[in-house]
Amino acid sequence: MDETVRAVSSRSRVAVMSVETRRNFGTVRVPAGLNGLLPALILIMLFFVIPVLALLLRSVTEPEPGLQNYAALLGDGTYARVFFNTFLVAALVTVATVLVAFPVAWMLAIMPSGLASIIFGIIILSMWTNLLTRTYAWMVLLQRTGVINRTLMTIGVIDHPLPLINNLTGVTIGMVYIMLPFMILPLVGTLRAIDPMTLRAASLCGASPFQAFRRILVPLSLPGVAAGGLMVFVMSLGYFVTPALLGGTSNMMLAEMIAQMVQSLLNWGLGSAAAFILLVVTMVLYALQLRLVGARRTSGGI
Amino acid sequence: MKLIITGFLAGFIATTVPATTAAKAEDMVFTSWGGTTQEAQTKSWAEPFTAASGIKVMQDGPTDYGKLKAMIDSGSVNWDVVDVEMDFAIKAAKDGLLEPIDFKTVPKADLDPRFTTDHAVGSFYYSFVLAWNKGAVSGEPAGWADMFDLTKFPGKRTFYKWSAPGVIEIALLADGVPADKLYPLDLDRAFKKLDTIKSDIVWWSGGAESQQLIASGEATFGQLWNGRVFALDKDGADVGVSWNQNLTAADVLVVPKGAKNKDTAMKFLAAASSPAGQAKFAEASGYAPINTKAKAEMPADAVKSLPDAHVGGQINLDMNYWAANRDTIAARWYAWQAK
Repeated sequence: MDETVRAVSSRSRVAVMSVETRRNFGTVRVPAGLNGLLPALILIMLFFVIPVLALLLRSVTEPEPGLQNYAALLGDGTYARVFFNTFLVAALVTVATVLVAFPVAWMLAIMPSGLASIIFGIIILSMWTNLLTRTYAWMVLLQRTGVINRTLMTIGVIDHPLPLINNLTGVTIGMVYIMLPFMILPLVGTLRAIDPMTLRAASLCGASPFQAFRRILVPLSLPGVAAGGLMVFVMSLGYFVTPALLGGTSNMMLAEMIAQMVQSLLNWGLGSAAAFILLVVTMVLYALQLRLVGARRTSGGI
Repeated sequence: MKLIITGFLAGFIATTVPATTAAKAEDMVFTSWGGTTQEAQTKSWAEPFTAASGIKVMQDGPTDYGKLKAMIDSGSVNWDVVDVEMDFAIKAAKDGLLEPIDFKTVPKADLDPRFTTDHAVGSFYYSFVLAWNKGAVSGEPAGWADMFDLTKFPGKRTFYKWSAPGVIEIALLADGVPADKLYPLDLDRAFKKLDTIKSDIVWWSGGAESQQLIASGEATFGQLWNGRVFALDKDGADVGVSWNQNLTAADVLVVPKGAKNKDTAMKFLAAASSPAGQAKFAEASGYAPINTKAKAEMPADAVKSLPDAHVGGQINLDMNYWAANRDTIAARWYAWQAK
């Protein structure tokens, strides 16, 4: 879901930009430009625009024409809880990811470049490992009879296993782990662009390390934090595998609910409506990101 | 002009590509749930069928009702025979999603009538049984009521996650509803009973997961498919099992509406439901055959582990009731789970 959304928006952005460049060459060449664009436009129409329109159409025509699917989704306590859960998990994951990613990114930014590229390699490598494998690994670590609980019980820290899985804790841990690279990469770009001299200047002017961090480093790194944070948030909104495996049924997220509607209830109208709401929310957030951070920063950071 | 050509090309590609990648006229596609069950189906049905007829049977999976409906809706049905849950099959037949079975090709006489309909022949039938990890449970749970007794049997218990025949019935039986008074299901009473242990339930969504939960002791006991307990036991896991009030349900084989190789599919169904095919599969999986003549072809010790050996107190889950009420129960089920 989230991938598609991002692909749609980035592709259409590319298309829009090239239209504009063409136009700058003068009105005479517009037909030629359009011809060159045709394959791309057809591709976008066929694979992105038409399916989304079909989705929208289905959500207002199945099982019968009308807005009853949206009414059902927005008026029902269960669905409202799922929407709330989705945003809660996405927000929690984003905050936790920022907190973990910031020190790592800072370390990478100031590290000698040889060592930094090795660490970068490790982070990228973890991204390339199959998502399902990584999620199952967390299952093994977090479950009641898992490595973490067994170790803590053996050394006598706890008497009963901690509930680390099939709840919000499990989902958050698993998702933060998976989202980290998406936060670290843009953040490192931003942090590297900050002149280290600004920090030295701050301490020369009498700032304590914490003051320098809070008043110099944090404000200067905000574009990176915002870019990475929004990306993590938007990706988390549509996440499926990790919440399905590490979460419990009482903190179900939207993607899982959509899968349930489509696969086991065969209620495609309702599923389409839920998917469309998720799409609209994601697009609004993406537009917000473009406006706040600027398109160049977003695409340049990754 | 260019637009027309490109559009034409796109249409051309869209129509020809699936046709060329799909099966040749004689070959067919069989879809099931994957794992050890589908392996056994391949060995017991597909391979002998190919050897006898020369028709190649390609395997696909897992079964996905959404995908099945999408194929039928779009008129491009790539699956010829699909293993589905029986309550789904009854509902799907009503919705016009299935081809009627050609009982001229598929001999009906010996098929268990419980698991045969106009649009489906049985694949296998199974029982939900109470299984436990002997190392993690002190004492022996005697029946479903013990799964709701947190003082006598503390610990996590595992149940089937999806809305399907089984868990609701278990809750009602545990609450004292007599077996012959189960239907129509009293959902309020069932959910009230389930509420008493909700925070101690770990849900399993697939057979392998149920095995892993019990074998590791992550859940001390639970409601499992008998074939999965059979496999655990064969692998040497220390599991106990109670067949008391075991609940039968079935998987059936169906042919989706508009399947490309309908005639071949019918021939495959005949082979799969034959005494030999059913006997082989039952021996490999521990699930019960739906052909009444199959047991005669099985070794005596294999017959002993089948649900057929535990008919005393056995309860048949009512597939027709579930087919009629599938959607309403599912809506309540998922809403209750999400609470």
